[in-house]
Amino acid sequence: MNSIALIREFLDERLGVASEKVVSDALLVDLGVDSLMMLELMFAFEDRFGIKIPNELENPNSVGDMVAAMDGLITTANAS
Amino acid sequence: MVRRRVAITGLGLVSPYGGDLADFFTRLCAGESAIRHLLTDDQPRPLSIPFVACPAFDADAALGKPLAAMMDRFAQLGMAAAFDAWDAAGLARAASDESRDDWGVSWGTALGGTLAYEKGYRELWQRGRERLSPLSVLLGMNNAANAHISIQLGLGGVSTSHTVACASSAVAIGEAFRRVRSGEATIMVTGGSDVPQAYGVARAWEALRVMAPGDAETSPAACRPFASDRRGLVLGEGGAALVLEDRDHALARGATIHGEIVGYGASCDHSHLVRPEAAGQIRALQAALADAGLAADDIDYINAHGTATAEGDPVEIAALKSVFGERAKTLPVSATKSMHGHLLGAAGAIEAIASVLALRDDILPPTVNLADNLDSACSGVDHLTVARQGAAPRAALSNSFAFGGSNAVLVFRAVRQ
Repeated sequence: MNSIALIREFLDERLGVASEKVVSDALLVDLGVDSLMMLELMFAFEDRFGIKIPNELENPNSVGDMVAAMDGLITTANAS
Repeated sequence: MVRRRVAITGLGLVSPYGGDLADFFTRLCAGESAIRHLLTDDQPRPLSIPFVACPAFDADAALGKPLAAMMDRFAQLGMAAAFDAWDAAGLARAASDESRDDWGVSWGTALGGTLAYEKGYRELWQRGRERLSPLSVLLGMNNAANAHISIQLGLGGVSTSHTVACASSAVAIGEAFRRVRSGEATIMVTGGSDVPQAYGVARAWEALRVMAPGDAETSPAACRPFASDRRGLVLGEGGAALVLEDRDHALARGATIHGEIVGYGASCDHSHLVRPEAAGQIRALQAALADAGLAADDIDYINAHGTATAEGDPVEIAALKSVFGERAKTLPVSATKSMHGHLLGAAGAIEAIASVLALRDDILPPTVNLADNLDSACSGVDHLTVARQGAAPRAALSNSFAFGGSNAVLVFRAVRQ
C-alpha cells in the first residue's frame, strides 16, 4: 500500500468520502478532515507503516501535501 | 421567583423492538418482552445472559458515517434518541434566528464510554498493541453524548452528564426540569443512554448475583418483578430522550404537548451501598409530591423501579404503602423493566417516556410474568398484570432507586387533547 491508497481507504472507511474525490489538490478540510481526524489519519499512517511522525510536522492542507509528507517519511525510514 | 410550567414536547428513543415510539408503547401495553438471550464470543468465557439489545440500530444510517465514527455506542444511541425527540418536537436541527444560548442538555449515563475503554484494553492486552487511537479519549468520556447533542443541535446553554447508577437519567431529567421551571433554560434536551454489554461490566454484574438467568428459550420471561419466583434483573442497552420546554414557548410556536413534568424529588438512603431502605425512598417520594404540589390521592399510576431483585422489590412496595396509606391498595403500579429490561443510565428516561405515554394515551402498561405468583412481600398495591385502558389517569410517578442509595422520583401530569 502507498500513501494515497491509505488516505483513500481511511477517508472512505471513516467519513464515507468517495475515492474519486481524494485527489492531489483537494483540501483535507473540504473532505471533512478536522484536527481530530488529522490525528486519526496520522495514527493510521504510523500504524500501517510502522513509522513515527515527528511532532514538529506541519499539518498538511491538501491531499497532495499529505501524500508528500508521508512519502518523505517513508523514504527517510527506508534509507535509515 | 420565576416558576414556569414545563411541557414535554418531544419524545424519542432507540427501541429494542426496532420500530418507532408508537410501536414501542403498543408492544409494551401488549405485554411483549424485548428480552432475548445474549451469547457472545468473549474470551475466556462467553457471556450467556438474558439481555435487551437494539439489533436493528444502524448508527451509520441514523447519524451519518462521519458523526457515527466520532462516537462510542452509548453516544450513538443517545444522539439518535435525541434527534428522534427533537424532530418529533417540530424543532429544526439547524439553529435559525431564535437564539439557543439558554437551551441545554442534561444527560444520564451510568457507564458512559466504558465499552470504548474496554475495546482499548482488548487491543492492548489481548492483541498486544502498544498504542491506542487518539479518538479513544473522546469516545470514552462520560459527557460525550451530551456534548454531541449540544453541537448537533446548536444548543449554547448548559451541557452536562449525570452519573448516578440506575437513577442517572431520572436525575438528569429532574435537573433539566428544574432549569426550565426556573426560567434558566427555555428548552432542555434530556434523557439517557447506556451500553452495559461490556464484557467486564456484565461479568461484574453477574458476580453481584442480581442477574436473572436464562437461555434462548427462557430469556423473554426472565425478568419477573414482584413475583415470588423472581430471579433478578436483566440488563439492556438503549437510549431515550425527552424535550422539556417552557410551556409558554411551546404554546407560542404551536407545539404538541404530550404531558407536563411537574415535580422531582431526590434523596439518599445514606445507609448502605446496595441494600435499599424504604425511609430514603419515602423521602424522595414525598419530596417529589411536595415539589409538584400534589397529594397522594392525585396520583393514578406508578412506574416502579421494580428491577426484580430479591431485596429491591419489597422495599419499594413498602415505601409506596407508607406514602400512599389507604390509597395504596387501589394504586396502579407496574414495572415495565419486565419487558424492556434495566437500561441502567437510560432506565429513568425510557420509563419516563412510558409514564408520559401512559398518561397521554390513557393506557397503563403492565408488569409481565406476574399473575398468580405475586410475592406476598410485594402485595398491597394494585399490580397491573395486563394493560389498563380508560382509567383517565391524571398524574404519574416514575421511580428510580440506584445503587449508592440515591433515589429520584419524577412526577408527570396528563395533558390529553
